[in-house]
Amino acid sequence: MSSKVTTLEEAVRRFVADGCSVAYGGIAGREPMAVSYEIVRQRKKNLTLVTDTKIDTAEILIAGGCLKKLECAYIWIGVVGSGHNYRRAMEEGIPHYLETEEYSNYGCSMRFMAGALGLPYMPIKSLLGSDIITYNPRIKVVDDPYGSGPLALVPAAHPDVAFIHVQRADEDGNAQIWGMLGNDDNIARAASHVVLTCEEIIPTSEIRKIPNMTAIPSYCVSAVVELPFCCHPLSVSGYYWMDIPFRREIVAASLTRVGIVSWIDEWIFGIRNHEEYKSKVGLERLARCRQMELENYQIPRIET
Amino acid sequence: MTYAKDFTTSELMAAGVARQIRNDDVVFIGVGIPLMAGIVAVATHAPKAILVYEGGGIGARTRRVPWTISDNPATDNAIAASQMWRVFSDQQRGFVTLGIIGGAEIDRFGNLNTTVILGSGTTYSRPKVRLPGSGGANDIACSAGRLIIMMRLQKGKFVNRIHYLTSPGYLTGPGAREKAGLCGKGPKMVMTEKCTFGFDEKTKEMYLQALHPGFKAEEIKKLVDWDLKVNPGLKETEPPTEEQIGIMRNFDPMGFILGAKSSKIETFDEFYQKVRRGYQAIKLNR
Repeated sequence: MSSKVTTLEEAVRRFVADGCSVAYGGIAGREPMAVSYEIVRQRKKNLTLVTDTKIDTAEILIAGGCLKKLECAYIWIGVVGSGHNYRRAMEEGIPHYLETEEYSNYGCSMRFMAGALGLPYMPIKSLLGSDIITYNPRIKVVDDPYGSGPLALVPAAHPDVAFIHVQRADEDGNAQIWGMLGNDDNIARAASHVVLTCEEIIPTSEIRKIPNMTAIPSYCVSAVVELPFCCHPLSVSGYYWMDIPFRREIVAASLTRVGIVSWIDEWIFGIRNHEEYKSKVGLERLARCRQMELENYQIPRIET
Repeated sequence: MTYAKDFTTSELMAAGVARQIRNDDVVFIGVGIPLMAGIVAVATHAPKAILVYEGGGIGARTRRVPWTISDNPATDNAIAASQMWRVFSDQQRGFVTLGIIGGAEIDRFGNLNTTVILGSGTTYSRPKVRLPGSGGANDIACSAGRLIIMMRLQKGKFVNRIHYLTSPGYLTGPGAREKAGLCGKGPKMVMTEKCTFGFDEKTKEMYLQALHPGFKAEEIKKLVDWDLKVNPGLKETEPPTEEQIGIMRNFDPMGFILGAKSSKIETFDEFYQKVRRGYQAIKLNR
């Protein structure tokens, strides 16, 4: 078997075709920013982002003009500011209008669950009575055949490729997650291909010491990329904090189309890859984001 | 216990909602000011309350406010780090006794819109104003045992007809939630920066429950589009205590959540030093 270990450039080139559907792991924490940067850099087009909640990673894809459609529950920035790029696309068609297929976070969660179980849909007791159903014909309301009352059915999600960033993985793609898991265990099983990015590649013998931490076994995974600080300016539990001042700069640039286009020129097209991105952010600054986390919150190491 | 003299309206809202959290509550926390209400409650009168965050964090004992519902502190010193599908399933199963969410537009039955604002000639897919969407708010409104809504009271936000029903309150009135098949009991309170609203047991209609210090019922009625009923025994809201305000300012030293003036940080260095000092100010009570 040939090695799954590759570079981000190669993984995006190989697994992201124009028009395909893409899922991301994480939610704010562990959202793979470097993947959004690379997809924009490679000028991918007409993608569908199949997700639950995404913040800055979705804003970058929207601003970069890579998306055609969102299947989602929430797209925004959050406490740092509004989703200016999402608003501009939806309200003004800049850079172009987007199709939206909306659910709630639980609805999206159970779409990935259905995908992971190999079942066509899942019934839930959310969404009932809301306009989410009115505007999304893919959600069906049925009466429980066993008599408990109305249920909302959400269709299985099977994204073409999922990019999931984790704290650590081995070269085969056994992935260990620290902190919240989001829907990543199910996204990995629902997707046709999984590209795993990780803070560190560690030996399989280390994985075996804490098998309970393995959220994604290697048989789900097509490619592995070691990519420290993949999520900057977002956070990774046990590795680094959110860089709020940097996020504010993106939000400030996003206030106008001209502003974000020039930000993208500088921070995506103006550099070649993640290594250059890290240098441009500043290695000392990144080290301090890491220090802030490590002083307070670390994965316990098991010594042998 | 001493009441604080100097506090912002956001701090007043967070303190008021914190008081609604009981020691035996399992609380599903939404994004924004609810993040702070949960922290204040567990740091004061409700140390056993379990805070649940959408990303999968359960029971965190954090040393700073999470900046999103899935920021690292959402599992800092937690009792469990699980999945999004798991915590929402736990809620649907009935384990979550209280949910706290925000909203952009609300009607008399507590139905909320956080999806789109429409104007003439605009539609759902080409809206006048696009908002974030449900996130987990619909799920919390559907299935949490009881629900508290936090939003600002401004003209045009408390309306007869919301543009899009994202998260259900009492839908069309008495019996509608049950008919729709929802498990949760529906909204109990709306906390604003001027007053709190309750919901009538029989009619399920929102009424003026209590006024924050300095506000009058007449000014509230002018900001609400329907003929607002007023609680005959209208009381004044209890102000935040010095302890509550102190906790908020320690856990959110830059006012990211509560929008204090100090949130105007200029540099990364300033950010780093301020948050670091915030962490050091908090004693971890495991």
